[in-house]
Amino acid sequence: MIADLVSLLSVLLAVAVVIAALVTRRRLRSRLTLGVERLGLDPAGADADALLSVIEKAVRDRTLDDQRDRSTIGRLQEALDTLTAAVLVVDASGAIVEHNIAAGGFIEARHTDALVGAAVNELLAEALAGRSAERTLELFGPPRRSVVITTRPLGVEGARCAVAIIEDVTERRRLEAVRTDFVANISHELKTPIGAISLLAETLQSEDDPEVAARLAGRIQTESYRVGRTIEDLLELSRIEIDESRVEEAVPLGALVREACERLGPAAEQAGVTLNCCGAEIVAAIHCDRRQLVSALTNLIDNAIKYSDAGAAIEVAVVLDPDEVVLSVTDHGIGIPARDLDRVFERFYRVDQDRSRTTGGTGLGLAIVRHVAANHSGTVEVDSRLGEGSVFRLRLPISIVAIPDPQPKED
Amino acid sequence: MPEQRWTFHQELDEIRDEIVQLGALVREFIPRGTEVLLTGDMGGALDLIEADDELDALTLRIEENCYNVLARQQPMASDLRSIVTAVWLTGELERSGDLMVNVAKAARRIYGATLDPRLCGLIERMSEEAARLVSLSLDAYVERNASLGAALADIDDALDALHGDYIEAIFDAHSSSDLGLQPAVQLALVGRYYERIGDHAVNIGQRVQYMVTGWLPEQTGAARLRAREKFLTDGAQAPESGSAEGP
Repeated sequence: MIADLVSLLSVLLAVAVVIAALVTRRRLRSRLTLGVERLGLDPAGADADALLSVIEKAVRDRTLDDQRDRSTIGRLQEALDTLTAAVLVVDASGAIVEHNIAAGGFIEARHTDALVGAAVNELLAEALAGRSAERTLELFGPPRRSVVITTRPLGVEGARCAVAIIEDVTERRRLEAVRTDFVANISHELKTPIGAISLLAETLQSEDDPEVAARLAGRIQTESYRVGRTIEDLLELSRIEIDESRVEEAVPLGALVREACERLGPAAEQAGVTLNCCGAEIVAAIHCDRRQLVSALTNLIDNAIKYSDAGAAIEVAVVLDPDEVVLSVTDHGIGIPARDLDRVFERFYRVDQDRSRTTGGTGLGLAIVRHVAANHSGTVEVDSRLGEGSVFRLRLPISIVAIPDPQPKED
Repeated sequence: MPEQRWTFHQELDEIRDEIVQLGALVREFIPRGTEVLLTGDMGGALDLIEADDELDALTLRIEENCYNVLARQQPMASDLRSIVTAVWLTGELERSGDLMVNVAKAARRIYGATLDPRLCGLIERMSEEAARLVSLSLDAYVERNASLGAALADIDDALDALHGDYIEAIFDAHSSSDLGLQPAVQLALVGRYYERIGDHAVNIGQRVQYMVTGWLPEQTGAARLRAREKFLTDGAQAPESGSAEGP
């Protein structure tokens, strides 16, 4: 009796297990069918294993697509990061969703960049309202900067968003100014004395008084000398720019300083300025173009004399560093305004037009110095304070070719 | 409730960002006004005077936002101090901007006068120093750096020294009769404007100290007064008078 009951229960249990397995299989199949339909495939006639294979293949394909998408996004992000312009994208709420490295500086920025950030927010609000916008900001810094902000509305899959591009155009503007100023200045520098000569000659023709005639002739001579000097400096600058006739030789630093100081000695004496040449005794030599370096040093000393008052002193010094030679000219003259410091090495750039006319410079001296420095892979820099004077440093990354003699002999 | 606090802190952040923007605008006014003065740029002077309206509008907006947050959120402790500090800071910054507008107006008054290069150099240096102090005070505020805030009083000594040299240079230029009395007076006022901008930056530093620690320099003086009053009533030992010191 008990044995019959046990076998009946066993049969019932087996039936229950089979039914449960069938139900689970049906549920699984219906879920798989649903999954296959969601993937956009036809599930008709396929059994559970076949459906599973289809799903596995689709997942594999999707994973590959995702990897491809991720690498495309990565490449695009990398490309964006190489841009010097800042690029950022905001969603409809104004929250930043994408940005490149350059844009990082404008997020939660302080000081001048905070003003750029505020302008960007304002223009992005317009772009989100569907209007493109552009604004140029002139920032006083320092350093002075010109920044152009451009915003455009974007519609990604129906969702409104906007892009902002922030570009620093300071250098581009500076180069444009250099070009246009050069054309205007060269025409002014050459035309003014020639116009004066023509006018003076015309007056001289009809002048009978020998005293007045002599004065007019003297003026013609002065103006001719001025235009001659400008042309001479232009030719010198052009020669140095082309750097064709460069002659490299071992030049003792002391001789270099001595030669420049001797050339300008009379001019300094005439201006009542004391010229202190330190380093004239240095016998260590460097490989350089002697003519170019003397020309550069002469221009720096000449400038210092012109802008120093009578009784002032000018120091010319040489500093020997392990990897560079620094030739410096220090004056205690009127100095250069901070706003002009970046431009003084441009051709014909004048800090003070009136003063330049009385001092008689051509406006090319510092441009020559900059080119000489560049030809020797060096730099020229200036520190200046109005009313206190200026220090010009010619830095030449040249190694010494001769060790100083402990007991230098006279040349 | 957490949602409300999140909004509140977002509002505090927005006020902070607006103060940073106001500070940047004032910081920009300093070299701008200096250039107007040194170059005699009358167009630039007018632009700067008109740009002050932008500064005023932003100041008003920040103050209104602060009062709104005070009324709606009723903040306490450090949050309350942050809002109170923001209100104070708008005043200090707005006044600094006004001082640079005064520099632009002085440039108009002395138009045509030839300035001695030494005076120009000192003006440039005072301008740089004033701008540096404003930048540092804003750094102290954003970073909640009480130590930097406290250091501003000492950093300001450099500007005070420059101001002294500048006044001396005005006397020299005036006595050598290169500089007329009217431009000399205007230039002396200009020097005072830069010096006052430095003082406002020092005030900002003190307000930052208050925001972070809850301490105000006036508390030292107030404590001395209380001690003196106590001495008069109880006959206790009278405290020595002295300058305000930190906590």
